[in-house]
Amino acid sequence: MNQTGTTASAHPEPSQLLEVDASDSFVRHAWTELRKRKLALIAVCVLLFLYTIGIFAPVVATHDYSETNLAKTQAGPDAENWLGTDRLGRDIFTRVVWGIQTTIILTVITILTASVFLGLALGMAAGYLRGIADIITMRTGEVVAVVPDFLLVLIIAATVRPRIKEFGYWVEDNTFISGVNSSGAVDYIVLGLAFLPLSWFGAMRLIRGQTLAIRDAPYVDAARSMGVGTPTILLRHILPNVITPLIVSVSFGMGAVALGEVVASFFGIGVQPPRPSLGVMIGDVTARTGSAAVETLRSHPEQLLSPIVVVWLMIFCWNILGDALNDILNPRAR
Amino acid sequence: MLIYISRRLLWTPVLLFVAGLFIFSLGSVAPGDPAELMAGQRADPEAIARIRDRLGLDDPFLVQYTRYAANALKGDFGESYRYRGRDVIELLGPKLLVSLELNIVSYVVTLLIGLPLGFWAAMRQGTWKDPAMTTFMLLVYALPVFFTAPFLILVFALWLDWIPVSGWSGMFSTHAILPAFTIGVPGAFVFMRYMRASTLDVLGQEYVRTAHGKGMGHMTVNRRHIARNALLPIVTILGFSLAGLFGGSLIVELIYGIPGVSRLALEAVFQRDYPVLTTLTLLGATMLAIANLVADIMYSLIDPRIRLRA
Amino acid sequence: MRYVRRLMIAGLVVAVMFAIGCSADEPTPVPPTATSVPEPTATQVPTMAPEVQRTSSGVAPTATAIAAATSTAVAEATATAVAEATASAGQQATVVAEETATAASQAAEDVDDREFDARRGGVFRLLGSDPVTFDPALTTDSTSYDITLQLFSGLTRLTDDPNNPIVTDLAESFTVSADGTVYRFVLREGLVFSDGSPLTAFDFKWSWERAALPETGSPIVKEFLGDIVGINDIVDGNATSAEGITVIDDLTLEVEIDSPKPYFIAKLTYPVTFVVNRDNVESGGETWTDAPIGSGPFVLKSYEIGVSMILARNDKYWDTPAFLDEVHFILAGGSAMAMYENDEIHVTGIPAASYERVTDPNEEISQEVVDVPAEFVTYYIGFNVEQAPFDDVHFRRALNYAVDKELIAEAVLNNRAKPAYGPIPPGFVGFNPDLEGLRFDADKAQEELAMSKYADPESLPRIVFTTPGTGGSPPTYLLAVADMWARTLGVEVEFQEVEWATFLQEIDNYRLQVFSLAWSPDYPDPHTFVDVLFRSDSSINQTQYSNAEVDALLDEATTEPDPARRVQLYQQAEQIIVNDAVWVPMWWGTEGKILVNRRVNGFRISPLGSYYLKDVWIEKEIDF
Repeated sequence: MNQTGTTASAHPEPSQLLEVDASDSFVRHAWTELRKRKLALIAVCVLLFLYTIGIFAPVVATHDYSETNLAKTQAGPDAENWLGTDRLGRDIFTRVVWGIQTTIILTVITILTASVFLGLALGMAAGYLRGIADIITMRTGEVVAVVPDFLLVLIIAATVRPRIKEFGYWVEDNTFISGVNSSGAVDYIVLGLAFLPLSWFGAMRLIRGQTLAIRDAPYVDAARSMGVGTPTILLRHILPNVITPLIVSVSFGMGAVALGEVVASFFGIGVQPPRPSLGVMIGDVTARTGSAAVETLRSHPEQLLSPIVVVWLMIFCWNILGDALNDILNPRAR
Repeated sequence: MLIYISRRLLWTPVLLFVAGLFIFSLGSVAPGDPAELMAGQRADPEAIARIRDRLGLDDPFLVQYTRYAANALKGDFGESYRYRGRDVIELLGPKLLVSLELNIVSYVVTLLIGLPLGFWAAMRQGTWKDPAMTTFMLLVYALPVFFTAPFLILVFALWLDWIPVSGWSGMFSTHAILPAFTIGVPGAFVFMRYMRASTLDVLGQEYVRTAHGKGMGHMTVNRRHIARNALLPIVTILGFSLAGLFGGSLIVELIYGIPGVSRLALEAVFQRDYPVLTTLTLLGATMLAIANLVADIMYSLIDPRIRLRA
Repeated sequence: MRYVRRLMIAGLVVAVMFAIGCSADEPTPVPPTATSVPEPTATQVPTMAPEVQRTSSGVAPTATAIAAATSTAVAEATATAVAEATASAGQQATVVAEETATAASQAAEDVDDREFDARRGGVFRLLGSDPVTFDPALTTDSTSYDITLQLFSGLTRLTDDPNNPIVTDLAESFTVSADGTVYRFVLREGLVFSDGSPLTAFDFKWSWERAALPETGSPIVKEFLGDIVGINDIVDGNATSAEGITVIDDLTLEVEIDSPKPYFIAKLTYPVTFVVNRDNVESGGETWTDAPIGSGPFVLKSYEIGVSMILARNDKYWDTPAFLDEVHFILAGGSAMAMYENDEIHVTGIPAASYERVTDPNEEISQEVVDVPAEFVTYYIGFNVEQAPFDDVHFRRALNYAVDKELIAEAVLNNRAKPAYGPIPPGFVGFNPDLEGLRFDADKAQEELAMSKYADPESLPRIVFTTPGTGGSPPTYLLAVADMWARTLGVEVEFQEVEWATFLQEIDNYRLQVFSLAWSPDYPDPHTFVDVLFRSDSSINQTQYSNAEVDALLDEATTEPDPARRVQLYQQAEQIIVNDAVWVPMWWGTEGKILVNRRVNGFRISPLGSYYLKDVWIEKEIDF
């Protein structure tokens, strides 16, 4: 959660932004540029690999993630259990794969709702409409931004869970939907809510800045004077221009949210069993307070390192990709 | 300028009040009655009622918060639910100090590694060394503390037996070394990037070329002009990022057994010790708000081109 | 009533267990901080010799070494204790406490002065957690209990000698009237508090009345002092002085209780009955315990919440003073095993991850592994038999048959837990070795499931399994149980964790469908297990179990004078309860293994899970 320093440096100054053509040529441009950067390309490949096995976890996994094998606990890697087994003889590889899926679902939910949806909508509204909308969103954001991140996540996750869970039961009892709680949906909502205050404001401020810079640009003025409606202006002229910095910010945000899940689950207030997550796996082998971390690293390093390496790769690759995208999409910013 | 600053100064208390309210209100969402928790398992309803009464838990929510805020202004942050008869501030004070010390040492490590590295990398722009160092530092930066902390303990405390595993006896003791590096080294990446960018900026400036023209030696140019000028914009972000460190030591404190705020904060979350939580939040928020303010002002002083939004 | 939420390495400071316990390998979840753990009530006669036994010792046994009791010895000891208690109640015997020296003082006498000096000194370090209170009157949890025992003392105290479980402490002797209701205590001469002020019978009267005052807010005073005439009036706010407590002179205290209760003297070993210093309490206000003045073997030297707690030897202790100069409790947590191996602490529990390495005889560290004897405690999974799907006996039996406890004990708990098949643990009065438990049998499990009304998985309601705690995941062994249910029967459960205090409230209100808990006896009688938990009108019948046949047997047992016949009746009832599968009994006690630095001697953990720091001494490192 605290490793978000790069995000700040990556946000380009509004004035530095190029006006980007709304056609898909910019995607092509980005791709051409990206291919020139080997490291970024490697990062994309690693991410694609991780995300593929995460999305296809049911196929990739070699075992059932909650299947215990008490005849073979704490075993090292072998042909059957590629990354060994944990205290209950569960297959670590399988759990890592499902853990990646958990991370993917969580990051996508959080980033979609917070950065993309809320950030875009509120940012454009505040930047374009100004006035009261601007004041309210900015002031709310400032309040949230001033609360220490880790406390906020811990408190929200610890307090809202029972309520969300009750809601989950209600849904199960009153609709045809079942398995709301066992599928981990509750965890996603709880963690999503916990990360929401952290993630929406950054994106929103970014979009707002962009919008402010463009709203008085000659071509927007021209559109306005031709009687084009506000929604159309927002969609046609503003949106395409604010989307590029958002992509960069999302790229940095992905790593941060992945780490956030790990920290929350590590303390036992994130994803709950039986659903595996990388944070749960780390928490399980470090006794939640980290007091057994040294011991696990010493006696059964594969149990600690398997989830950690994945988290590490995710954070690293998303940062590399974010950097590259920043270079490509905002060439004037360094 | 003055108008801007005074506006910000007036806004900050409001900001803090609302931030506190936000945390305070989360407490009412959670299940469980603090009075019951305080009274203990075998307490009779009467004892619980007495506690509720004493804490004013039956008052409307806003009344409770206003009372809390009013007392907080006087420096009275209430009494911990968990540690009966103890002022929150008395409880938090020593722990905040330890956390602060830890963060300061880590920060020093960050700067001592990050700034020279950034400078070093910038001076080698165009060679393989620059991207290699940047990538390496990013790899270090991305390493989760769940690995680095136990790993350092294993190597330096158990195998080499150089440094104690745990505890805290001030920022100038051996106890501080491992945690400071655990937090500080990854953070150096961020400053390395700032410094690198800033140095490149300076390198591109006219007067450096002028300095060359005057015939000063290459090394002199490095030291005198580039480094100093490159550091200037970085000063503006120092204060801000120091406040940002506040939460960075959470897990590190746990693994190294450092008596900072994190253990207390965690305990407070699980035990619903809202006076402690709210106070922690308020103090953290105050630090952040002040740091933001200072950073803003310094930024405008150093770089007058940035017009404040006054 | 005694719910247990401590575990195998019971005794070892809660923080240590937090560290290990939360890795979810222990039978009961251990909450990070004890809000209020009901302590072993004094009525429980300690029945084991808790001298810690070195598994493979390169260290000379201490002078106090007592052979570790085997479980049979325990059984005998308990049986005798009960027989005696029963006998004495009828005979209105006059008991004169033997003035035997305690094990501790014997130890001191056994060594001459030179050797004593060699033992004296040193600082004992351990990882601890913040006690809820230092006030003996408020002590209900194990962390506080362990500390108050070092700082304060009372008329009698528990020992670790099974033949002589209770000895006089500040009292030199006592006599009981013929009708068994009036106790006359004679205090030792020259008793002083740790500040040097005299300690007299007046202090006891004041301390007990103070403990009873509603302002003091002691949650357990009725249980331990309520037998004394007049104490309950104070608790109810109708009086400020108890007529049952009379000070004859400085050294003599007379106590009248409401009816003859042979176990009364045992209750006086519990902290709530300890003596406190009036000036100290009255001048210190709410935080008087910041500088407590007591009469225990140690005094509180300093305490910083969440940082450290330092105890120093009380040189004014009435008996031989402690060997240790100081005891340092580290309260900030950290990596316990690493700290231990780096000589930063002297004792630690063993995290699951390092169990193999630490117990490997080839590793040097294995020489420091010390066994902690099991307590009388039964861990179980309880079903609320009024709630679907646990309202069907076949379904409950299916769940029982589906759990392979032996396998879990071996694979998950490193054989530290003993699989249980009924409520009464081995060694306890009334344990039935012939009890027919519902042992693991996958086929039977499926048969029973087929016979139940929940044979069709579609008809199965949602099952929420509640565990107490805040660690995040349920204990590992419960995950194994859930997996066995899922695999053998296709029954899926969902776990939820509830913080301890709330957990108990939920249980009391029968709001939990299925839960995990542990139960530990209050007194050496099967009543404390079978009657209290399963009689249909018992106030702590958590499962809402109701069986007329069982109730009839229990009624008969209550009035049955013949001890052997009583036990038989309880055993019959127990068998029915087991057949009705009200619980899945999980473990009978759990043995612990801890690591104790090789230079530390005399560190013992009692069957009540607390430790005796007074007798601990540290071998000096030899300097040449």
